[in-house]
Amino acid sequence: MSAVSRFARNLELAGIPTVGASGVNVVKFKDYELLYSNGMPIRYVAFPFPIAGQPKSVHRNYVEGKDLLSGKPMMQAIIEALTKPLTEEEKKGGMPPAAAPEPRLLKPDTEDNLQRLFKEKEWTDFLPIVLPTEEKVAAMLKGTSRKPQEIVSRMGSREMTVEKAAIYAVMAGAKPEYFPTILAVLTQAPSFGNSTSSMANMIVVNGPIRKQLGMNSGTAVMSPFSEANSVIGRTFTIAGKIIGGLRLNDGAYSSLGNNLQFNNLCIAENEEELPEGWEPLSVELGYRRTDNVVSIGVGWSYISSVGEAQRSHPPHMLIRDYMRSLYGSAATVIMDPTVAKLLRDVHGFKTKSELSAWLANNVEVAVGTFWGNGVNATASTPMALQGLEPFATWLKLPPETLIKPFTNPRAIQIIVAGGKIQTTWFVTDFRLGRGIRIDDWK
Amino acid sequence: MKRRLLYGSFLLITIFLISFRITPAPAGDRLLTVLNPAISSKMVERVPLTERTGTLEGRTIYMIDLQWGGPEAAYSVYEEMQAWFSRNMPAVKTEIRRSSGGPFGDDAALRKEIVEKKAGGAIIGIGG
Repeated sequence: MSAVSRFARNLELAGIPTVGASGVNVVKFKDYELLYSNGMPIRYVAFPFPIAGQPKSVHRNYVEGKDLLSGKPMMQAIIEALTKPLTEEEKKGGMPPAAAPEPRLLKPDTEDNLQRLFKEKEWTDFLPIVLPTEEKVAAMLKGTSRKPQEIVSRMGSREMTVEKAAIYAVMAGAKPEYFPTILAVLTQAPSFGNSTSSMANMIVVNGPIRKQLGMNSGTAVMSPFSEANSVIGRTFTIAGKIIGGLRLNDGAYSSLGNNLQFNNLCIAENEEELPEGWEPLSVELGYRRTDNVVSIGVGWSYISSVGEAQRSHPPHMLIRDYMRSLYGSAATVIMDPTVAKLLRDVHGFKTKSELSAWLANNVEVAVGTFWGNGVNATASTPMALQGLEPFATWLKLPPETLIKPFTNPRAIQIIVAGGKIQTTWFVTDFRLGRGIRIDDWK
Repeated sequence: MKRRLLYGSFLLITIFLISFRITPAPAGDRLLTVLNPAISSKMVERVPLTERTGTLEGRTIYMIDLQWGGPEAAYSVYEEMQAWFSRNMPAVKTEIRRSSGGPFGDDAALRKEIVEKKAGGAIIGIGG
């Protein structure tokens, strides 16, 4: 339920008439919320978009212009929403007649027609899929001891079962031995990056299972040269789209979208090439080296070192410089083993944590740049206005004042991967989660 | 001879019919049964809106800024609305307030205030 409809619902229940105001880009979700999450037919008006960053004259025009839902003058529409008697529809209470649940099987059809249907329904990433026949799904289910009707993840009232996950795995081209890893990944499918800000996801696998599945953690680890990396990452996309009910302009509302969503940066860490004292990501997160763990995060982008490390300005300094371009708060650095070795042996970072702490302490940005970022302005300003530090202080500083935006070194993760061919690295703005045990899904 | 011809013809017809029957349909025409990837949504209980009183005269309208897009987005639009009410419906009082919960949270204290003051209405937004 959106914050607008939740706030309005609570006031309506307390006897206060409300009107939800929304950008025309997202207002269409009101119908879904009425049926499946809010249950109350909140009255809405729709403004043109964008609103943030526009001059006052534009905002005045919005107020003096039309409501894009009703076509009436905006202020008339607002006043009517607050005063006009309720319709019979708006007075309704109780459970609506149950909608027919989705059938387990689709109507038999030819392969071409089914492929077309899957595309029309936007159940795919528009690359060819393997059709989930009963035989193929049954074979996939043999990859786990979990029962087909167990729940893997929930999004509102929508539940993804193990059988649904097997369907998505088949569609993506997975082998049954990938299935436990896929199930662990799909516990996070509701966090598939569907944001107006055009988010994406990152998937990092640790533990012995990397080798058992043939995952790539070495040369070209981030490129399409490994079946397991490709297919596991792709399954997340298919599942994320379907559990979210995401269709273009109908649920999917990323302004630019993100090309990383085709594979979700699905990689394995090169644990065999970690320098002494540097632990795998999973161990940094509190698991044992023998545990099989997948870590998933959300973010937007990555920046490359573009070439070899230089003695005059070593990697940790250039990583620091590049991190000034990120929104702050969280980052994940993916570096070739040669970079990790250089940082440990030559520059004295004995652990990943030491490097994270150094970066948190040395990345500085102008506070005006920090607040100029829309995600920070949206998410951190409310905390500042509540007096929470450091945001409350940062909001009062002159814009050119330097601040250290990475307040938590543990939110700066280091992943070692790659083929020892060049001292290269990527700085990303992905925030990784706590990790999920793959072994729980075997 | 006649009988042999008859048997031969019968055999040929039988072979023809059997071969016709067992020739598989072209791959593209074969019907496949596949599992449905779609996930059902469960409908929730309908809850009616509160009754409207028909007028805003002499009442206070709260404009709640959820701060989507930052502190200068909805707030600025609400300032324009406030000016509109002053010009066109001066009997309506307006209050612009920021929700401390921002775009993802709640502000129970603000809701309590709105209810206790028996506000004539609230504009919530602006979602983006």
